[in-house]
Amino acid sequence: MIAAPGGAAKPAAPARPAPAAKAAPVNVPAEAARLVGADASAAADAAKALGRSGDPAAHDALLDALATGVAPEVAAAALGALAAHPAPPDAAMLVLYAGHRNDQVRAAAVGALGAYPDPQARKAAVAALGDDEQAVRDAAANAVATGKIREGVDRLMALLDRGDSAAPPALAALADADMAHAIGEHLGTAPAPVLALTLGKILRRADFPEPARVQVVRTLAKVPGAEATTALTDYVEATPEKPPRQSRKEAEAVVEARISGGGQ
Amino acid sequence: MKSPMTSIVRPVSGHLAALALAAALAACGGSQVFGLTSDDNDSAALTQALAVRKLPAALAPHNGGGSPMVFAVTGGKARHLVAYDLGKGKAAWSVEADVQSRVAVGADFVVAREGKDLVARGLADGAPRWHAAIDGTFVGATADDRRAYVVYQSGDQVKPTWWLVAFDGGSGKELWRADSPGQLGAPSAQGGLVMAPFLTQWLSILDGATGKQLTRIRGIDQEISFVTTTADGAWFGSKAGVFRLDPAAASGARAKSTYGTAKVPAQLAKVTYAPDGFDAVQAGYSAADRTRIVWRAAPTGDGWTWNGGAVAVHYFRFVLGLDGDGQVRWAYSQPRVELVGSTHTGAVIAAISAAGEVVALDPETGAVRGRAAIDVAGAPVLGATFDAEGWAPRGTDEAPSTVAALVAIARDRDARFDSVKELAVGTLAHLPGEQVTKDLLGMLADERTPAKLRDTVASVLVARADVGGLPALIEALSVKADLIANTQPAAIGPVARAVAALGDKPLDAAARTGAVQALLGQLWSPSLSIADAVEVVRALHAVGQGAERAPLRTYLLVYRADPEFAKADALVGAVVDALAGAAPDDRELLRFVAEDGRTLGPVATVAKVGAARPLAAPAPAPKP
Repeated sequence: MIAAPGGAAKPAAPARPAPAAKAAPVNVPAEAARLVGADASAAADAAKALGRSGDPAAHDALLDALATGVAPEVAAAALGALAAHPAPPDAAMLVLYAGHRNDQVRAAAVGALGAYPDPQARKAAVAALGDDEQAVRDAAANAVATGKIREGVDRLMALLDRGDSAAPPALAALADADMAHAIGEHLGTAPAPVLALTLGKILRRADFPEPARVQVVRTLAKVPGAEATTALTDYVEATPEKPPRQSRKEAEAVVEARISGGGQ
Repeated sequence: MKSPMTSIVRPVSGHLAALALAAALAACGGSQVFGLTSDDNDSAALTQALAVRKLPAALAPHNGGGSPMVFAVTGGKARHLVAYDLGKGKAAWSVEADVQSRVAVGADFVVAREGKDLVARGLADGAPRWHAAIDGTFVGATADDRRAYVVYQSGDQVKPTWWLVAFDGGSGKELWRADSPGQLGAPSAQGGLVMAPFLTQWLSILDGATGKQLTRIRGIDQEISFVTTTADGAWFGSKAGVFRLDPAAASGARAKSTYGTAKVPAQLAKVTYAPDGFDAVQAGYSAADRTRIVWRAAPTGDGWTWNGGAVAVHYFRFVLGLDGDGQVRWAYSQPRVELVGSTHTGAVIAAISAAGEVVALDPETGAVRGRAAIDVAGAPVLGATFDAEGWAPRGTDEAPSTVAALVAIARDRDARFDSVKELAVGTLAHLPGEQVTKDLLGMLADERTPAKLRDTVASVLVARADVGGLPALIEALSVKADLIANTQPAAIGPVARAVAALGDKPLDAAARTGAVQALLGQLWSPSLSIADAVEVVRALHAVGQGAERAPLRTYLLVYRADPEFAKADALVGAVVDALAGAAPDDRELLRFVAEDGRTLGPVATVAKVGAARPLAAPAPAPKP
């Protein structure tokens, strides 16, 4: 471990339960040394290797490297590796790197934030939804969805209205019946393709309740454009005929009507 | 000499016989009173002439009704002359009239050039009283209680002749005429005297009743391009300065006369004390009336004294009160439209806008003392004559708004005002307070602010070094780029420089902490430009008092292996500079950065230099 005088504070990583699947053996001291070497490509590989290890020393090595500074591609790999085995002390480091000037580094940090219940981490994830870079917004939306960060819903809705591709997967993942209804209310304000994509993803969720799914189908029926038809078609094709579902039946009817020219 | 104005006097209403009689009576010749040889600068003659001048006992309008009035000329399809009684706050009359000159006011009439004629109208109702054709080029008209006077040029380029002609204000009868082989300027009448600049070198003073020259002043060291009057005095001069017409004026020299000149900022250099009497354009209302020094001076006493110690400047939409050194002490901004005419009544500065709004300003503070709205039926006011000596409206509830006015000036879109915008911004630099800082920041954030003005604003923001403005600076630094909220931090570099300028000021701990936090927030903002980041780091170093060092150490470590950072020489230098020589732990870090293999070469080089810098002596404990 390299001690950098006056570097970013790096608390000791606590003990963690071992991962369920047996990880491939990683030579932690060797990889830790490669991680802080001058060869950035090798250091990035080392970061990934350390991320596969459940050894707390591997986690410490990643935190150390990030605290003392590495090349951007190494930092991006290290941030992703860090979140493979989340520990509370990581959050501060991720929040720091969530403001990095390099887009890839920032996206990696933001994307990892969803694994941490830390309030600052959640706040940073929500803030990053407004990042100028699409990759960072995508990562932020993913973090908000992964962390089930409800505080991010309003900003996701705003992205939906902007037609931003970051919004559909996250909103679909977070949606319950009420939220699906709220998303449907954006008909007319959000671009139809993005709205259809969002609702289609909700339909595809196996855990989504059937009565609410019927409402989603009915909302999709009102959404103009090919994307809504595609969403309904995909849903019909992905859903077995039996047991019969009202949502599938109505979706099928809408698709038929649209194909025959009777729909939108 | 045969008059070219033979047969020009014609009653507006009357019979042909009357017209013929008037023509016959008017067929008089001129007498040459203007010439190159004369008894100039005769103190006794001037004293005697001034002794016969009749001045009112107190400041009062010239019109016989005694109520302050303004006579506005409006444009549009057909010009109108609108009389408004400022004392009563209501319109007196409005008549269609093709007014082409300034309006002069007599006791019971007004007179102006209408079309090609000199036309007098009754003061009570604006009805035409008499016409007199002007057979030449109009130069100017004036009036005293009972007479109207006109100067015009006749003849051709080879042998031009200028004429000063007097008319009875009631009948239009020509009373006398005097011809001049040299150029006469616009005249001004007062209390039985009529005065006219001659060849820009003399001021001729004539008996208004007879046309006889009483005396003449020759300017020794200054041109004479205008003569003007107030109820309490007469004044002449040029763009360079003003002479009071008193016995001392007989010297003709500035040093021996009662002479004044106002210090005016260079940005307002085009302003003048009065219309140029030799400029044909200024014989009527013109753009020159919108760039005027509004002044008043003591009519008696030893030496020159500006009333209130200084002057004001009317500059298009704005009126700026100056101090004796020419610095702006107050400002007024007329909303939306330009002020097209202005005067000093002795009590207030009165001005009229193109939309017909009259505003009265306190000469000392710029506070609005009165407003009046003249119904001009939507037509633009082209110009106006105030006959409002002594007008002193009681006041309004409007507080002086110098800061708001200066900001309005500085943010005006009109490209004509770029120089005065700089003056406004420069004035704001001397005014303390958070609101001023906010207004300056608003200008920086406004994309429509011209680049040159933006630079000026940025410089002013730094130069102010106003602790009271720190909250506004922190607020500006707290804005983050956000696609959803549609926010973008603005002018972070200049704002950071303004914060840095406060580094040695007595800031309380909370304010200092707030500034450091806000600066760090920007430093870790991915959208911050490298140039702005440099300023942010410098500001942190200036105000941080050590609180910035740990965050800057982190910053250096995080970025030392980043090629983009390594390319940013200034930023690397600023960060290392903030850490070098400060404390042992910082030096230790710089050594580590300089020697560790992950550090990119350019960063390592600078860090090495920084690490070698001797540690400074411990700073004294910061003042709260």
